[in-house]
Amino acid sequence: MTATTNQAPTRGLIFRRVRPTGGDVIVATLMLVVVVASAFPLVWMVLSSFKTTAETMQVPPVWLPRSPSFDAYDKVAGVINVGRSMWNSLVIASVTTAGILLTSLMAGYAFAKYRFRGSNLLFALLIATMFLPPIVTLIPLYRIVGSLGLNASLGGVILPNLANAFGIFLMRQFIAGVPDDLIDAARVDGASELRILFSIVAPSVIPAIAALALFAFVYHWNSYLWPLTVLQGNSDQYPIVISLSRLLSYNRGAMNTGLVMAGATLAVLPPLVLFVFLQRFFVDSIVGSGVKG
Amino acid sequence: MTTSYRGSVWVMLTPAVALIGVFILLPMALTIWLSLQDWSTQTGFQTARFIGLDNFLEIFGTTSIGRDFKGAFVNTAIYTALSVILILPLSVGLGLLVYQRNVAGGNFLRAVLFSTYMVPMIAVALVWSKLYSPSEGPFNQMLGWIGLGGQPWLSSPGTALISIVFLNVWQQVGYFTVLVIAGLTQIPRSLYEAAWIDGAEPHQQFYAITLPLLRRTLLFSAVIAVINAVQVFEPVALITQGGPVGSTNVLTYHIRRVGIERAQGGLGSAMAVTLMLSLIIVIFALFAFARRKDEE
Repeated sequence: MTATTNQAPTRGLIFRRVRPTGGDVIVATLMLVVVVASAFPLVWMVLSSFKTTAETMQVPPVWLPRSPSFDAYDKVAGVINVGRSMWNSLVIASVTTAGILLTSLMAGYAFAKYRFRGSNLLFALLIATMFLPPIVTLIPLYRIVGSLGLNASLGGVILPNLANAFGIFLMRQFIAGVPDDLIDAARVDGASELRILFSIVAPSVIPAIAALALFAFVYHWNSYLWPLTVLQGNSDQYPIVISLSRLLSYNRGAMNTGLVMAGATLAVLPPLVLFVFLQRFFVDSIVGSGVKG
Repeated sequence: MTTSYRGSVWVMLTPAVALIGVFILLPMALTIWLSLQDWSTQTGFQTARFIGLDNFLEIFGTTSIGRDFKGAFVNTAIYTALSVILILPLSVGLGLLVYQRNVAGGNFLRAVLFSTYMVPMIAVALVWSKLYSPSEGPFNQMLGWIGLGGQPWLSSPGTALISIVFLNVWQQVGYFTVLVIAGLTQIPRSLYEAAWIDGAEPHQQFYAITLPLLRRTLLFSAVIAVINAVQVFEPVALITQGGPVGSTNVLTYHIRRVGIERAQGGLGSAMAVTLMLSLIIVIFALFAFARRKDEE
């Protein structure tokens, strides 16, 4: 130790000493274990979706399909309307996302750049809703949406989710960083506030908008409890995640494994593909959303 | 200048405030009000009849309603505690693993870990129910390879709840790892350099620097993990239906069954209020715990 004591580590390594050690082997092994453990269930899902029914029922289990087939996908299409379900999911996720972007930008701008009486109190009240599990409001919400005549419709799935506290919070954080001078200059030129928001403020916070859009889209593509409750068995309007449950009740037991795995693969694909291409935004927005140690 | 945008405040705030007001704050207030009423979810709010605390006496009573609710409450508490106890240390360990190698390998690991958070819970539940299958599932096969006996997993009252905890941890731990990494980046490098010069061993650095400076991140993580855990629904609704023998009957599933499917809106609301009060108590306790540690 004495010879190296004066060489403080310059690279960002917490535990590592300057010279590579046997610890590196352990670290590399650990990383491999973590990657395998994270990926295994999804890899198994995809592999099983290509197995024959006989293969999925074999004991002990077969890992690789001997002659990969699309039979399970064909059968899925026979049990649920895949196109319709995917379309419903797409409508729910994209309309909800558009609404959240609009309401969050507007409210985030007001909280970041306007001074008005009760601003902090109102903001705190809205943020508090972020910590409310949806089940707490589910029963009256179901009744309220029903009294608006929106039960069993996509409108009923979408409407209650068009604004949320996380979006407002995220937008306020990022819009606060837009220089006041920029906004004041536009006001002097006589631009309306809405115009300032959409042509000056919004373009300056594009990364935050992208992150919020991705989060909202994935969250509402995946969401299950509320659509299940409000759609009341109207299977024409089911998003893909709810249609999946019909695959499980089809031929209950080991018989339906391939079917279930094929359906799950279809449902997982859109959010996962979005993530693969845009993962930077997801991760950066979590880091940037104010969780500062 | 001030007057020119005074009217705009309301233009900007009305959409968000109206939506959150009507679809979150109003239902919240109604849940509290309904918890004191005899009310069927199939009828309008005007049919509610005030009965004081009877709903609460019922759900904590000795009838089957009380037994089921208390069972669901205990199951949720166990599920939540186990989830938090597993997720927090794992996220710190994984966070250090990723952050140590703040290079390509680290970013790849972070992406793989976080990707499970993108998978719909319903798909996680479906896939894991097949992985857990006692005969055709790979988990018992792998246990066999290392000489361990197969587990009944979801099909036995003794192991079903913990099996759901595992799939929850698998799905969520990547998100919490990213939170920890964010926390780690806030710790000044100079502290480690000073400790290194003083000859502090890695484990001493961890307990003296890393853990104390991660405290606020971990407090936030714990709060979010608790709130996420009480929302567990899909694996129960789809795979176990609360069984075997009530061992996975958790609150979100139970409240929905009582309040929506059985249309007992008053009882369901009383359960929801109890859940909310318990959450508030737990969150306050977590904050108090963190503050006491700060003062030490």
